[in-house]
Amino acid sequence: MSNGSLGTNSKNSKFIMGGLIIALIIGILAPFIASGDPDGLESAAEKIINGNALESNLKEIGLEEEGTVAPSPFADYAIPGMDKIGEIAAMLIGILLMMVLGYGVAAILKKKEQIAN
Amino acid sequence: MHIPDGFIPTWESAIFWIISIIFVALAIKWAKNNMDEKSVPLFAVLGAGIFAIQAINVPIGMGTSGHMVGAAMASMIFDSPYAGILLLALVLLIQGLFFADGGILVMGANIFNMGVICAFVGYYAFKSLRNRGISIAAFVGGWLALFTSAIVCSLELTIAGTFPLVAGLSAMGLYHAIIGLIEGAITAIVLGYIASARPDMLKWAGGKNE
Repeated sequence: MSNGSLGTNSKNSKFIMGGLIIALIIGILAPFIASGDPDGLESAAEKIINGNALESNLKEIGLEEEGTVAPSPFADYAIPGMDKIGEIAAMLIGILLMMVLGYGVAAILKKKEQIAN
Repeated sequence: MHIPDGFIPTWESAIFWIISIIFVALAIKWAKNNMDEKSVPLFAVLGAGIFAIQAINVPIGMGTSGHMVGAAMASMIFDSPYAGILLLALVLLIQGLFFADGGILVMGANIFNMGVICAFVGYYAFKSLRNRGISIAAFVGGWLALFTSAIVCSLELTIAGTFPLVAGLSAMGLYHAIIGLIEGAITAIVLGYIASARPDMLKWAGGKNE
């Protein structure tokens, strides 16, 4: 291991904690400030999609409308029957899930420390 | 720009799964050779931040909204497009499995558009413009990444028979030229901040200051 001084380490953890706090604040604000308008792709689809092509694709995978073939527990970033609190909770769950998955994957993949001695 | 299941046929979804799995495998190889102790928490917190910011849809007029993608930003910070690809693959996995944001069958196409395309275009645009100033390079890289990704997405939908070619390119191009401004602005702010406050976090900024 390197000679990372305590100063550098605490500076790094402050930077990481700062980033996580910003992510959590964005997550809490999202249900209140995010626009409900369709996004660029959905909006384009509403205007120009070929209904026949869509219908045959949907039939192929057994869906009634476009979406996902697997049910999601927090579809549309909400928890059924929980209103705004559920939306905030869904965002916080997502942020923490991402943090854990990102950390886990990076920790498993990171290059092995050179064992010199 | 998350494609839902139903917009492209299964054969096309399969092709994009194969392409994306290859790029994710290359990204895993990159991570094994380049990620160190210090990268791990940065990668995790960047993922959390990108997941959060993707939920902020900003109205752009015409009854339409858009949000940042973030692969370009991650690639610029980690100095490799593979960082952005790996991170977006994880973000899209969580969004698809838990939040019904983007389909499961089409996830390969979404990883290709928002991961591979955004990361490569954003990273190399940034790299080639970096000596003109970090904020400008980050802005152009972010904008170009999002715009190109939307054009590619539109072409995929044309191949699928779902979008007419010209109308698809015009609508997707117009909306994402505007949404790209959001991507560019946030990318420039974050890169500008890290470059001035913590240049040691950026491999390429280690030596010279601009």
